[in-house]
Amino acid sequence: MAMKRISKELMDLHKDPPTNCSAGPVGEDIFHWQATIIGPEDSPYAGGCFNLNIHFPTDYPFKPPKVAFSTKIYHPNINSNGSICLDILRGQWSPALTISKVLLSICSLLTDPNPDDPLVPEIARIYKTDIAKYNETARGWTQRFAM
Amino acid sequence: MASEQHAFAYDPEKNYDEDIMAQQRQIEKEIAETQPLVSGLFTFDDIVEEYTSEDAVYRHKIEDLKTRYANMRKTRGDGNCFFRAFGFAFLESLIKDPTDYSRFLELVTKSKDELIALGFPQFTLEDFYDTFIDIVKQVKSPGTVEKLVETFNDQGLSDYFVVYLRLIVSGFLQKKEDEYIHFIDGERTVKQFCSQEVEPMGKESDHIHIVALTKALEVPIRVEYMDREGLTCNAFTFSASDTSDDSLVKPAVSLLYRPGHYDILYPL
Repeated sequence: MAMKRISKELMDLHKDPPTNCSAGPVGEDIFHWQATIIGPEDSPYAGGCFNLNIHFPTDYPFKPPKVAFSTKIYHPNINSNGSICLDILRGQWSPALTISKVLLSICSLLTDPNPDDPLVPEIARIYKTDIAKYNETARGWTQRFAM
Repeated sequence: MASEQHAFAYDPEKNYDEDIMAQQRQIEKEIAETQPLVSGLFTFDDIVEEYTSEDAVYRHKIEDLKTRYANMRKTRGDGNCFFRAFGFAFLESLIKDPTDYSRFLELVTKSKDELIALGFPQFTLEDFYDTFIDIVKQVKSPGTVEKLVETFNDQGLSDYFVVYLRLIVSGFLQKKEDEYIHFIDGERTVKQFCSQEVEPMGKESDHIHIVALTKALEVPIRVEYMDREGLTCNAFTFSASDTSDDSLVKPAVSLLYRPGHYDILYPL
């Protein structure tokens, strides 16, 4: 059932791609995808092009996909391994969601970080206390790693 | 008990969520290996063996159940037990007595467009809906209880059925938001409650889930509560409408609740 559903999502993505995102299988393996997110205009990630790895579990869509950044990014909810702290990738995953919704949620997370539930407490602290410094560092990392 | 002291050092490179999820998967695997999604029939004499002779309260209550019920089926303790037990028991009741079949089919057929109108993504919703309806139609094709047991033990089909019931409950609560907002704890909207406690698989059902499902599908449910209080089980009937008199309602489905878990009961 997982294969059928993933193929359906792939067709849907081609037909109706979400804004600023693209995704598809890396090779022959339909359970392993790569995605690209263009940094949102109203964020310090603007102009960057971020790659993500997606692994679908064999019991997808009952379990969430594993999604991680492979491009380095400076963000309170994304750590140095690219792991993302996002509720719908954890306990709030619902089988009615899709990878397209997940990518859109990650875009929103880039525009609006959630410093109260951080994965990297130090970046969250800077975000909350010195937003100018956070913006500058995030822009610097975007230029260095995502352009 | 001797225990080793571990000083916990937070490692910012580590994603603890993933460790927790991996551990949760291992627990789920162990449960899946020992419990079928829907079991064969058990007599109460089989069940009573689960309790030691010191467990007088429970043993007594099982004797009480024997006076009203013939036997029971167990469901897997995976957080979906209420939905799965209800789904199986109701379709099984339709195989035995198809009087309510046409009404039910019509109601669930209409539910698809209602849910899409509420904002559920069409293409995933249709996927669950199609499988759900296929399973409902098995009842008349012609259905056998053996085939239904087989379907409900096919993890994919069984879970698709559960997902759709969850979406029906979510849709019903969102539609009746003004009424149900008062029954939700914490500073949450009905929509938030649904995305946190109703739609995700494995989230246990509370009173509010049962009320919503009975009313959304117009199928009355009786639950026998078996806890440590008193000497007999407390029966509670969830009626399908607000107006009907509970004492007149003949429940289509009877469930046994033991703290944290629902199984299926068969009245005498």
